[in-house]
Amino acid sequence: MKKWISILMVLTLTFSVAACGSSNAAPVESEGTSQTQEGIEAEAEASVNEQTIYPVTLTDQLGREVTIEKEPETLVSGYYISTSLLLALGCKDRLIGVEAKAGSRAIYRLAAPQLIDLPSVGTAKEFDLEGCAALKPDLVIVPVRLKDSISALEELGLTVLAVNPEDQKLLTEATLLLGEATNTLPAANSLIRFQEEQLALLADALKDTEAPSVYLASNSSLLSAAGPEMYQNSLIANAGGSNAAAELTGDYWAEISYEQLLAWDPEYMILAADASYTVDSVTGDPNLAGCRAVKEGHVFQLPDAIESWDSPVPGSTLGNLWLASILHPQEYPEAQWKDAAATFYETFYGFTPDLENLYAEE
Amino acid sequence: MTTPFFITDDLTTGYGKKTILNNISFSLEPGTITALLGANGSGKSTLLKALCCQLPYQGRCLLKGQPLDAMSPRKLAGALSYIPQQSGVTLSLPLIDVVLMGFNPRLKLLERPSSRQKTEALRALAAVGLAGKEAEDYLTLSEGQKQLCILARIIVENTTLLLLDEPDSALDFHNRYQMMQILQEMILHQEKAALICLHDPVLALDLCHQLLLLKDGRCIASLHPGSDSLKQMQEAFSEIYGPVSLLRCMDRHGKPRLVLLSDLQKGALS
Amino acid sequence: MRKNDPQPPVSCSDYSLWEKRMLTATFLITVTLSLLSLSIGKYPLTPALLLGGDPQAVRVFLTLRVPRTCMALLGGFGLGIAGNVFQTVFHNPLASPDIIGVSSGASAGAAFGILFLSPGIFSGSSPGLSSGGLPVTLSAFCGGLLAVILTLALGSLSRGRFSAGKRDASIVLAGIAVHSLAQTLLMTLKLLADPEKELASIEYWLMGSLGGISLYRLPASLIIGVFSALGICLLHRQILLLSLDESESRMLGVSVGKLRLTVLLLATLLTAAVISNTGLISFIGLLAPHTARLLTRSSRFPTLLLGGLWGSLLLLAADILARSAGSGELPVSIFTSLLGAPFLIWLVIKGKGEP
Repeated sequence: MKKWISILMVLTLTFSVAACGSSNAAPVESEGTSQTQEGIEAEAEASVNEQTIYPVTLTDQLGREVTIEKEPETLVSGYYISTSLLLALGCKDRLIGVEAKAGSRAIYRLAAPQLIDLPSVGTAKEFDLEGCAALKPDLVIVPVRLKDSISALEELGLTVLAVNPEDQKLLTEATLLLGEATNTLPAANSLIRFQEEQLALLADALKDTEAPSVYLASNSSLLSAAGPEMYQNSLIANAGGSNAAAELTGDYWAEISYEQLLAWDPEYMILAADASYTVDSVTGDPNLAGCRAVKEGHVFQLPDAIESWDSPVPGSTLGNLWLASILHPQEYPEAQWKDAAATFYETFYGFTPDLENLYAEE
Repeated sequence: MTTPFFITDDLTTGYGKKTILNNISFSLEPGTITALLGANGSGKSTLLKALCCQLPYQGRCLLKGQPLDAMSPRKLAGALSYIPQQSGVTLSLPLIDVVLMGFNPRLKLLERPSSRQKTEALRALAAVGLAGKEAEDYLTLSEGQKQLCILARIIVENTTLLLLDEPDSALDFHNRYQMMQILQEMILHQEKAALICLHDPVLALDLCHQLLLLKDGRCIASLHPGSDSLKQMQEAFSEIYGPVSLLRCMDRHGKPRLVLLSDLQKGALS
Repeated sequence: MRKNDPQPPVSCSDYSLWEKRMLTATFLITVTLSLLSLSIGKYPLTPALLLGGDPQAVRVFLTLRVPRTCMALLGGFGLGIAGNVFQTVFHNPLASPDIIGVSSGASAGAAFGILFLSPGIFSGSSPGLSSGGLPVTLSAFCGGLLAVILTLALGSLSRGRFSAGKRDASIVLAGIAVHSLAQTLLMTLKLLADPEKELASIEYWLMGSLGGISLYRLPASLIIGVFSALGICLLHRQILLLSLDESESRMLGVSVGKLRLTVLLLATLLTAAVISNTGLISFIGLLAPHTARLLTRSSRFPTLLLGGLWGSLLLLAADILARSAGSGELPVSIFTSLLGAPFLIWLVIKGKGEP
């Protein structure tokens, strides 16, 4: 009896896979008939380009040559940005292991609640080699910070890609890399196109505006600032602001003093999305009473109900749009970024975001 | 009946469970110096530590009728002074400051020594032969000078009972006698008594009024060189130092003095 | 009184000319550095602006610049004399506040505060300074105090095990135990910390900074600090007596147990009041008293003060560098060690302070 059932199941599966394949192939053919010969060739080339042919050899963001033998069906991601990227590429069902503390990411709860219960492979600091090997994934994606663990993982027979999505350009690179590796290039391309289009629209809207000075504070402390070499600087620049902390050096959060903040006297203070302090604590700080941003009520926290747009996640473009609507409400009204945000999450993450409540409840 | 000046009655003490001293009894008279004699490890230092209440003991110690172990630390410090074998002054301090420490039991917690006390301290330093050195650093002194400085501190402490643990150990021949003479002067004219551990029995016989001989944690004899017979004393000394000869002789001023000589034994190494 | 004395007290019991000269010289340097500290900073302050009554300039000067300078001045002084006390009481020239667990306890406390106490708990507190908002300050203070109380309690448990003269040794042993315990706790807390968020704050706290000091955070620690520093100065004669063997000081009328407890608690309060505001500041507790002793070759009261002044001087100089050497704020401990260590080495090689 059991035998018959399993044979039946295998048959059904085979048929459904075959059916999928044919439905995928069908539109290409039908389109081809109505176009010129050149058009057909170009289209075919594009679709061939967007289709990964395995085995494929890729160069990851550490510059390593990695050969992926067949289309990976199971994935492990050791970094929240690559996990989020894989979600946007539609790979949520292929993920079998993610980084630690997945439960704290609102975007997972909204887009793929099953991720929260997946086994954890540790943090970027402490990667769990054995736990990762036990999952036997076809492909492991780790941040470049974990480069010391990569050879160990390879010795365990795993295929490993290192990604380094630390700014917009690197994020685009990582998007294409993962798209090619997981055979999801169409999604990767449309994600990149969305980001480019939105930024172009934004730049157009802000053409003739003056850039107010913006101070962006880290999540650990108001007196820890983003300098011009940090990713967060592009957030301010894209949104039509100028970084108040432009004189800082180094590509990490720099500690500053009240005095320095008062000397810069920014027009806007923006707190990191997951800041451990509140807007109220800033506006209530007697040391800052004389600061322009505080006097004018221009202290805002980046929205955190969905994800932290001040880190280079796929949705970080929305952070630029949000900040622009704060700095230039005339030129770039609130409704515009909300439209973009709704489209973005519906298209790439498959849920409708609640844009009325931008801040997670404590 | 008058209260005795100081008595120790049936004192037993030790470290933890190990008993060092058994049933020690003796008394001290005012105006006298008593020497504690005994081989190394016989319990001399332990007895002094017990008397100044650093070790718990069984038995009684009464100073003018008052039990020592019932006194408050401050009162005890005002009644007793104690010099360990080596003073623990480890900081660079001028001698005057070391001597002024002796006034502490009489000063309030935050009080500073008065100028009169400073003058007194200078006098004490002069008395032990360290005049003019009051600004010198204690740590740069020789060991003998350090002991003299501590003696000056004892002078200003001005307590009833003086307990000294081998104050002579680093002193040269001249300074030993000088120290004993200073002690005698301090004690003779006032209601004081001193109990001192000495290595040198000759010094003890010559300058002390009473000699307590300790052996294996017991007090085997209490001698009074002024009145006891030579034979009796010689026997008692032989018990702790081996065969000895005790002689009485005259010094060049015609004063009778006692001399102790060890009987030479051949083949000590063989 | 004096007239009747046959031999009027000579100058020896008063402080020597050399001690007075060293004190005056160090004091003058400290004052100069304080003025420098008042005039250097990221906010462009000029005498003209201040005298002209520019409200923002005056506010920056009074609520930030002056309190920061005061903190460096008094904090350095406090660490300097507390270090002296620890070295004297434990008869150990290498003793520092950590010998009985103050610093490690405060570190663990600060880490706890950074992790678990949101700055919003106390109204009007600073918006999460890396060097610690009010909750972190309180938590660090309590951590330091708790560690010391634990050490002293453990130390007194050993009664009877050690002979009477070795009580301070058992406190040191207990201190080592508590120190490792606090370090373990700190490690655990670091492990729990979010590497992007709290871990950075903890690390920064451990390196110390005066960048977060403002008028609104100074008064409580100022009162505690001044009170305990005053206590230590008044008790200095007694503290010297504690440097003797326990039996010897007891026979000089010192209630060793009580006095040691009081003195250690005062030194702990002083240290905790400073470092709970600034984060760990390394080396000053060790360097300043030794510098003073090498200069005066004595351990008298002027040396205690001189050690305090050297502490002020070092911390002022380090803080001036910390706020002006980089584009942002740099940890102050880097500079206390950088400035202090070579100077101490030079003093040791030179050998003599007194000509």
